[in-house]
Amino acid sequence: MTAPLLELRNLAGGYPPVAVFRNVNLTVAVTESVGLFGPNGQGKTTLLKTVAGTLDPWEGDVRVDGERLNAEGRMRSRTSRHLNYDLFRKRRIRARDVVRSGVIYVMQGNLLFPEMTVKEVIEIAPAASVGRSGIAAMRDMVDELFPRLGERWHSRIRYLSGGERQMVSIAVGLLALPRLLILDEPTLGLSPKLRVELSAAIAGIRTMGMALLIVDQNIEFLTGLIDRLYLFDHGTVDREIGSGRMPSRQEIMAMMFEARH
Amino acid sequence: MSADTFFFVGASGLILGGLYALMATGLAVVWTTLGVFNFAHGAFLALGAYVAWQVSDGSGGPATFLLAACVSAAVLFCLGYVSHFALVKPFERKKNMVLLSVITTLAAAAIIENAILLIWGPRDKQVPAAVEGSFELFGSALRYQDILALVTALAALVVLATFLRRTATGRSMRAVAQNREAAELMGLRTSHLFALTIGISTAMAALAGVFIGSLRFMNPSFGADPLMKSLIVVILGGVARFTSPIAAAFVVGLAEAFSTFFLGLYWSPAVLFGMMIAVLVVKPEGLFSRRTKTL
Amino acid sequence: MKYDPPFHHTNGFWPIILVLAGLIALPWMQTDTYVRHVLILALVYAVVASNWDLSLGYGGIVNFAHLAFFAIGLYTYGISAKILGVDPWLAIILGAAVALIFAALLSIPILRLEGVYIILVTVAATQLLARIIVSQSDFTGGTSGMVLLPRLTIGDFKLSSNGRIGYYYCALALLVASTAFLYGIERSAIGRAIKALHDNKYYAISRGVSEARIRLYTLCLSAIFPALAGGFYGSYVRVASPDVFGLGFLTIILSILLVGGIATIWGSLIAAFAVTIFTEALADFGAWRDIAVAVVIIAVVVVYPGGLHAVLQECWGAFDRIKCGAIARFRRHWQAERRAMLCGAPDRLVETSFGRISVFDHGAGAQAIVMLHGNSSCKEAFYRQYAVFCQRYRVVSFDYPGHGVSPNGNPETAYALDAFARILGELVVKLDLGRPIVFGWSLGGYVALEYAARGYPLSGLAICGTSPIGKFPDDMPRAYIPTPSMELTAKRFHSPYEKNQYALHTAGTDPAIDPMIRAAVWRTDGQAREQFFNRLKTIDWPRQMRVLCESEVPFAMLNGRKDPFVNNDYCKTLPYANIWRGAPYDFAEGDHAPFLSCPEAFNTAFGEFVDGVTAHGGRFA
Repeated sequence: MTAPLLELRNLAGGYPPVAVFRNVNLTVAVTESVGLFGPNGQGKTTLLKTVAGTLDPWEGDVRVDGERLNAEGRMRSRTSRHLNYDLFRKRRIRARDVVRSGVIYVMQGNLLFPEMTVKEVIEIAPAASVGRSGIAAMRDMVDELFPRLGERWHSRIRYLSGGERQMVSIAVGLLALPRLLILDEPTLGLSPKLRVELSAAIAGIRTMGMALLIVDQNIEFLTGLIDRLYLFDHGTVDREIGSGRMPSRQEIMAMMFEARH
Repeated sequence: MSADTFFFVGASGLILGGLYALMATGLAVVWTTLGVFNFAHGAFLALGAYVAWQVSDGSGGPATFLLAACVSAAVLFCLGYVSHFALVKPFERKKNMVLLSVITTLAAAAIIENAILLIWGPRDKQVPAAVEGSFELFGSALRYQDILALVTALAALVVLATFLRRTATGRSMRAVAQNREAAELMGLRTSHLFALTIGISTAMAALAGVFIGSLRFMNPSFGADPLMKSLIVVILGGVARFTSPIAAAFVVGLAEAFSTFFLGLYWSPAVLFGMMIAVLVVKPEGLFSRRTKTL
Repeated sequence: MKYDPPFHHTNGFWPIILVLAGLIALPWMQTDTYVRHVLILALVYAVVASNWDLSLGYGGIVNFAHLAFFAIGLYTYGISAKILGVDPWLAIILGAAVALIFAALLSIPILRLEGVYIILVTVAATQLLARIIVSQSDFTGGTSGMVLLPRLTIGDFKLSSNGRIGYYYCALALLVASTAFLYGIERSAIGRAIKALHDNKYYAISRGVSEARIRLYTLCLSAIFPALAGGFYGSYVRVASPDVFGLGFLTIILSILLVGGIATIWGSLIAAFAVTIFTEALADFGAWRDIAVAVVIIAVVVVYPGGLHAVLQECWGAFDRIKCGAIARFRRHWQAERRAMLCGAPDRLVETSFGRISVFDHGAGAQAIVMLHGNSSCKEAFYRQYAVFCQRYRVVSFDYPGHGVSPNGNPETAYALDAFARILGELVVKLDLGRPIVFGWSLGGYVALEYAARGYPLSGLAICGTSPIGKFPDDMPRAYIPTPSMELTAKRFHSPYEKNQYALHTAGTDPAIDPMIRAAVWRTDGQAREQFFNRLKTIDWPRQMRVLCESEVPFAMLNGRKDPFVNNDYCKTLPYANIWRGAPYDFAEGDHAPFLSCPEAFNTAFGEFVDGVTAHGGRFA
C-alpha cells in the first residue's frame, strides 16, 4: 500500500506556552478530497498553519508521501522565560519544504498583497513551483475557472471584493502546481451567489485530480465537495465520517454538541 | 535678491534634495518592508564615503570615481545583507520589534562610527571628484560634480523603481513587504529578500555618501547630519510608500538652501523642524502619502 | 481592587535596606577620590536611566528626547548660575522647571503619533535643541561648551571638599528621592493608567483613560529628575558641553537601561553601577570602549532581552524552587511521625507519570473517598475528617506536585488543573479505588470537576469553596467576590507577610489558623501557583459545567456562608442536575474552609451526602 499524500501523526502545536491542538491524526490520499469541520476558535487554522510550516509543531509528524517534513522528536521546553529562543532554536518545519513537496495552503480571509495588481501576483505565483512543468496549461485553467479575474486584471488586490480576493488566492495556490491544495474557510464572508460560483470552481479543481483539504463553517458547501469529513473539536480530530452518505447539518450539529456524559 | 542668486540657491537646493532623496528612499524601503527604522543609515553612509576614499587613493577622474563608487556600493551592500541577520532577524517575531531594532541599529551606528575612527582617524578627508571644474549657467557657477550627483541620484531612483516593478526579485520583495506570511506560504525566501532589501538600502546610502564626501569634507560622524535631514524628509513625506519621500526630499533641500541663505546656517534646522511639527500636527501621515504602508 | 501591599511588606524591603545601608557606608570604606567619582557618575546615570523607564518601559512611549531633559538641566544650571548669578541650588530646581516646559511642548506634536513617528520626532527635537545650543555661543560657549560652573555649597561647606563626600551623599539622596518618586508613580492611578495604555491601548481608552493626558503626564513626570540630575552633574563636573547630545552618552544610558532590563526600576539601578564601572575600566581604550558598549547592547537585546533584572529573577526563582523542594524533603523524612499522629496513619510515595506523589490512604470499607486540597495547601488540611471517615470508608488524599510533602513537579507539565486530575485518575487505577466519591476544596474542587469531566470512574462529587465556571474568564467576576488578596492566589513569590495573609484568607478569618496550613504555604512551589493560573484558559470549562448541569452524577456543594472569596449567590443560580438537598448547602459559621472552622457540622453534612450516595443510590433530584 502506498503512503498517503499527507499524513499527520499525533501532531500537537500552538502558541507557546498555550497548546492549541494535540493528538491530531489525519490522512489525505492522492486525488482525495477531505473536509475538516469544527466550531470557531478551536484551533483549525493554527493546525493548518503548522502543517503549512509557519508555526512550529511541538510533537508528532507531518508526512508527505510518507516522508517526514518536520524535525524529529518533541520540541524542547523553555527553561528560561527571558532568553531569546528564536536565536538558538532552528525552525522545526520550513514553509519552503512544504511548498516544495507540493502542499499549498491558501490562507483564510486573504488580503494577499494589497498593493499589487492581479497581473503581478499571478505572475510571481509560479515562483513556488520551480522544476515542475505544466504552468502554461494551468494558466489557461485558471482563466477558465475564474473568468471574473480576467476583467480585473489590472486592479490592485485591495480594490477587489472578498470573493474576487479569494479567487486570486486560490489561483495563486493553483499556479504553484500543487498536489494537495488546502483551503482555509474559502466561503468566509461571501454572498450566496459568490459561494455557488466558488463551489463550481472548486468542483472544477477536483476534477483535475488534485487532492483537496477544505476547512469551512458552511456544512452544505463542504459536504458537496468532499469524499470524507473529519470533525474537529477541543483541539483535536474528534471523529471521522467515511465516504458513505454525508450527514446533514442537523446530524453534524447533534454529533458535535450532544452532551457526552 | 537677484535672479542669479535665486537660481544659484535653487540649484543647490535641488542638488541637496537629490542626495536626500537617495538617502531617505533607502530608509523608506527598509521601513516599508521590515517595519524597521535604520538608525545606522547615517553611519553606513559615512562608511561608504570612507571606502570610496580608500579605493580612489587620492586620485580623481571619472574612471577612478566610478570604480570607487561601485566598490563602495558593493561593500556596503554585503554589509547591509549581513546586518539583517545580526540586527533584525533575531527578534523578527517579537512584539516590540520597532523599539528593539531602533536600539540595535543605534548600537550598530556607534560601532561603525568608532570603527571608522580607529581605521581612518579623526582628520577631515574628501573623496576626489570625478570631474573637476564648473560651468556658468544663468550667471551662476555650477560644479560638474554637483550635476553628476543630481543625475546619479535620479538615475538610481529610476533604476530602483524599475527593479521593484519589473523584475521577479523586485516583485518578490514587494510581496514580502506587503504580506510576509502569504509570501512565506508561496515559498518565497523571506529572510533572503529582507536581507536583500537592507543591502539595497545601504548600497544607496553608500552612493549618497560617496557624493556627499566628494562635495564636502568628511569625518567619522559626518553621517549624522544627512541622517537627520532624511529623518525630516521621511516625516514630511511619510514612509507609507518608498516613493513618497522623494518629493519631500526636494522640498526639504530647497527649504534648507533658502533658509540658510536668508536666515543663516544656524537657524535653518529650526525652520525645517518647524515645518516638520506643522506637518505632524496637521497631517501626521505625511504630505504626499496615505496611511497604509507598502513597498 | 488592586492588590497593593505597603513597601515594608514586600519581598524587596530587606534587600533594599541592606543595599542602601551599604551605599551610605561605602565612602567611609573607599576614600579614593577616583572611586568616589565613578560612584557619583553611576548614581547620576542611574537617576537618568531609571526615569527613562517611566516613558519607554512602562509607558511604551519611545522618547528619544529623554537625554534632552538632562541637557536642559545642565545648561539651565550653567546659564543661570554662571551668567545670571542665580544661587546654584535654585538653578538646579530651575532646570527641572524648564525641562517640564520642554516636555509639555514636546508632547504636543507626539500626541497623535504612533510607534516610529514618535522616535523620529523626539530624535529630531533633540537634534534641534543641540543645534540651537551650539548656535548661541555667546551664552552657551558653542561647541566647546561652558566651563568653570559654580560649585555647590552648604553654608561654607564645599560639597567637593573632603574627597567629594558632599557630592556623593547629595547624589545618593537624589537617587533615593527619584526611586521613591518612581515607585510611588508606578503604584498610583497615573502609573496604572500609563501601564494600561501600554498593555492594551484601545481597551484602556474605552475604559476612560485619556491617552493624550497620560502621555503628557508621562513625559512631564519623567523629565523632572533627569533635569535635576543634569543640574547636579553640571555643578559637579563644572562643565556643560554639547557632548551630552552625542551618540556616546546616549549609548551609555541606553545600555544601562537595556542591561538592567526594560520596565523595571531596580534593574537600571543595578545596571548603572555595572555599566559605569565597566566603561570607566575601559576608559583608556577610547574608541574600543564605545564599540564594546555597543556590542554589549546588541548582545543583550538579541540574546537576553530581560537584562540583569531578569537574571536576578531567574536566580531567585531557582533558589526558591530549591528551597521549597528542600523543605518538602526535610518534612518527608523528619516529620513523618508527626503527620502520622495527626492523620492517624503514615503517608507514602506513589510513582505516577507526573512524578512521585505523597499519598495518604487509610481506613476500612469498600467505598473510597478521595479528598483534594486547595491551592498552596496540603493533604493534612483534612485531618479532622480522617478521624471520622476512616472508620467506615477508605479515605485517600494526596499532595499535588509542588505541594505538601510531594516533590516539586515539572513546571511545564505537572502544574496544571488537568495534570492534577490525571494524577488522580492514575492513582484510582494504581490503588484500586473502584468508583470513589471525590471531594475537592477550592482548587481541589476544580480538580474534582475536571476529573469528572474527563470521564474517570466516580460515584459522587462534592466541592467546597469552589464556584463552577461555565465560561472563562467571563464568569470569574460573578463567581468570585473581588478582594485584593485574590491577587496572591496566582503570585509566584510571596513575602513572609503575604504568606501569612494568604494562609489566613484561605483557611480561616480567625487569626489563630492552623500552623500546618501556614507551613504548607511556605512549602508550596511558587511556580505551581503561577503556572496553574496561566493554564486556566486551556481548560475546557463548558465540559465541567455540563457535568454539573446535565449528568446524573450525585453532587454536593458545601460552602461556608462567610466565605471571603466565593460568591454564594452565584452558586445558587446554577441549574444543577442532581444536587444533594436540591440546592447548594452552606454552613452558617463556615468560611472558605468549613471543614476546618466548623468540623462537626461539616462532618455531619458530608456524612449524610456519602450515605446518600452509598445507601440510596445517589438520586437526589
